[in-house]
Amino acid sequence: MTDTFLSIRQVHKAFGTTVVVQEFNLDVRQGEFVSFLGPSGCGKTTMLRIVAGFEEPSSGSVFIGGKDVTRLKPNQRNIGMVFQAYALFPNMTVAQNIGFGLKVAGMPKAQMQARVGEMLELIKLQEFGGRYPYQLSGGQQQRVALARAMAGKPQVLLLDEPLSALDAKVRVSLREEIRAIQKELGITTIFVTHDQEEALSMSDRIVVMYNGRAEQVGTPFEIYNKPATRFVAGFVGTLNVLEGKVADAEQGIVRIGAEDVATGRALTGRRAGEPISLALRPEAISLGPKDGRASTAHGIIREVSFLGSVIRVRVALGDDVVSLDTFNNPATPPPVAGEKASISFSPEDVHLLDQ
Amino acid sequence: MTVNRFWSWIFLVLGVLYFALPLVGTFEFSMKMRRGVYSLDAYEAVIFDPRFQETFTYSVMMALATIVVGVLLVVPTAYWVRLKLPAWRPVLEFVTLLPLVIPPIVIVFGYIRLYNTSSWLPLTGTAMGTNILLMFGYVVLALPYMYRAVDTGLRAIDVRTLTEAAQSLGAGWATIMWRVILPNVLVAVLSGAFLTFAIVIGEFVMAALLNRPAFGPYLQLIGANRAYEPAALAVIAFGITWGCMALIQVVSRFAPRPPAQPH
Ligand SMILES: Nc1ncnc2c1ncn2[C@@H]1O[C@H](COP(=O)(O)OP(=O)(O)OP(=O)(O)O)[C@@H](O)[C@H]1O
Ligand SMILES: [Mg+2]
Repeated sequence: MTDTFLSIRQVHKAFGTTVVVQEFNLDVRQGEFVSFLGPSGCGKTTMLRIVAGFEEPSSGSVFIGGKDVTRLKPNQRNIGMVFQAYALFPNMTVAQNIGFGLKVAGMPKAQMQARVGEMLELIKLQEFGGRYPYQLSGGQQQRVALARAMAGKPQVLLLDEPLSALDAKVRVSLREEIRAIQKELGITTIFVTHDQEEALSMSDRIVVMYNGRAEQVGTPFEIYNKPATRFVAGFVGTLNVLEGKVADAEQGIVRIGAEDVATGRALTGRRAGEPISLALRPEAISLGPKDGRASTAHGIIREVSFLGSVIRVRVALGDDVVSLDTFNNPATPPPVAGEKASISFSPEDVHLLDQ
Repeated sequence: MTVNRFWSWIFLVLGVLYFALPLVGTFEFSMKMRRGVYSLDAYEAVIFDPRFQETFTYSVMMALATIVVGVLLVVPTAYWVRLKLPAWRPVLEFVTLLPLVIPPIVIVFGYIRLYNTSSWLPLTGTAMGTNILLMFGYVVLALPYMYRAVDTGLRAIDVRTLTEAAQSLGAGWATIMWRVILPNVLVAVLSGAFLTFAIVIGEFVMAALLNRPAFGPYLQLIGANRAYEPAALAVIAFGITWGCMALIQVVSRFAPRPPAQPH
C-alpha cells in the first residue's frame, strides 16, 4: 500500500498472563474509515486504546503519519477520541467542551470561537453552544463529543462503540451523520463496534477480530461474501452450515445426508470420507429450481415466517436446517410447513469451512 | 399510616426540643447581662474585647491555611487513587478515619515529642514553626471530613473517562486537575472546607497544648471566669458553625450537574 497513514505492526498485548491482543497488523490509508468488529471481550477496545496511547503494547509498534508513536503519551499524539459514555465535561458548556482542546493548544480566542462555530454548524447544533451537557439528549451529547474530538483537526479519529448507548432510530441517523462528516473532513478513522450492520454500512474496510486476532481484513463486500474463516462466516450475517462428507474430492462432490451435492470445485487435499462443512447465505438459496443455481438438495419445510416483503423459510436437510429467503408474491400463497421441498443454489456461492 | 405519622411528629418535636432548648436557654441568658431588661451588652463586651479579636483572627487564618493545605493534599490524592490505584481505596479510607479514633491529645503529644526543640526538626522552637505544626494538626483532624467530601464528589463523575477525554485533547496533568477535576468536585471541596472551618474555629486541645493564641482556648478562659460572656460566645460559635452548614447547602445548589449517563 502506498499511502499508508496509520500502521499497526505486530502488536501484542497481555494483562498479566491473559493475552488480549496478538499478532495484530493493520495498515490504514489516509482518510480511510476502518471498523474493528468482533464479539465482546475480543480485544477491540484494547487495540483502540493502544492506538490512542492509553495502553502500551507488550510488543510491536504503532506508526502515525510515518512516525513511531508507540511510546508517546496520549496527549502528544494528536488523536481525537469518542467514548461510549460521551464523556463531556459536565462543568463546561457545549462550546467550551468543543473548544477545550483548542484552548489547551493555545489557540487565540477569536480563532477558537470561529472554529467552535464551524464545528457546531457541522453537527447542526448552532443554537446549543451555551447549553450544559445535562441539558442535551444522548444523541446530541454524542454529536458534541464528536465535534470536540475533531475540532483540533486530529490526525486520527478513534471511536469506541459511540452509538451503542443510543436508541435504535438515533443510532441509524447518527451513524450516517458520522460517516458524512468523516468523509467531508477526510479524517482517518477507526470505529469499534460489535454491531455488524454498523460495520458493514459505514466502513471502507472491516477488521473482524476474534480472541485478540485480526481474523480477516477486507471491504464489507469481501467480509460478507468471502469470509476467510469459519468464525467470520458465522459472525457476520446469517449463515447456513451443512455438515457432510467428501464423496468425490476431484469432482467436488459432497455427500450430505443421503444426497450428493456439487460444490463446483476440486477439493484438493481432501480424502473421500473426510468430514467437511459447507456454508451458504440465505439469499444464495432458492426454494425450488432456479436458473443459474445448478446444485440441488431435497428436504422438508420446517417453518415459514412471514416478515413482510420477504418470507424466511427453514428447510430440514437430513440433520441440518437451512434458512432461505424468498420474496413475498401477492399472487402465490407462501409455502406450508411439512411439505416436501427442493432447494437450489449455485456451486460458486458455497463456502468451504475449515474444520 | 396516621398512627405512624402521629409518632413521627412526636419524635420530631422531642428531637427539636432536645437540641433547641439548651440553645434557647443559653441565648436568653446571654442577653440578661443588664439587670431587668434584655440587652446585647454581653455580645458587645465580647466583640470589643481585643483578645477576642486577636484569637478569632488567628483561628480564621489557621482555618484558611488548613483548608488550602488540606485541599492540595486530599484532592490530588483521592483523584489519583481513584484513577490508578483503586485497590488502595480501602486503605486510604482507613487511614483517613484514624483521626476520629485517635484522640487529638495523643496526636499532639506525639507532635511535641517528635518536633521539640531538641529534635531533628525543632518546629516548636519558634512561633511560626509551632503555627505550622498546629496547622498540620488541623489538617489531620479535618482529614476524615475532607477526604469523604472529595471522594463523594469524585464518585459523581466518571473520573477515568473524563481524564482520558482530556488527555486525548492534549491536556497534561495540571490542566486536567485544574480545569476538569477540580471544577467538578468544587462543591464537595467547599463543603469539606466549611466543615474544616467549623472544626478549626472551635478546636481547643491542640491549640492549648501547643500554647497558641487560638479561639478555642480563649473560649475556655472566658468560660471559666465570666458569667454572661461565655453564653454570648457560645451563641456566636454556634452561629458560625450553622453559617458554615448553611453555606454548604447554598453552594451545593451550584454543583455542575452530571449529564444523564448511558446505561
Ligand atoms: N486493564 C485490564 N486488565 C486486565 N484485563 C483487561 C484489562 N482491560 C481489558 N482486559 C481484558 O481484555 C479482554 C479484552 O477487552 P476489551 O475491552 O479490549 O474487549 P472488547 O472487544 O472491547 O469488548 P466489548 O465489546 O465488551 O467492549 C477482556 O477479556 C478483558 O477482560
Ligand atoms: Mg470495548
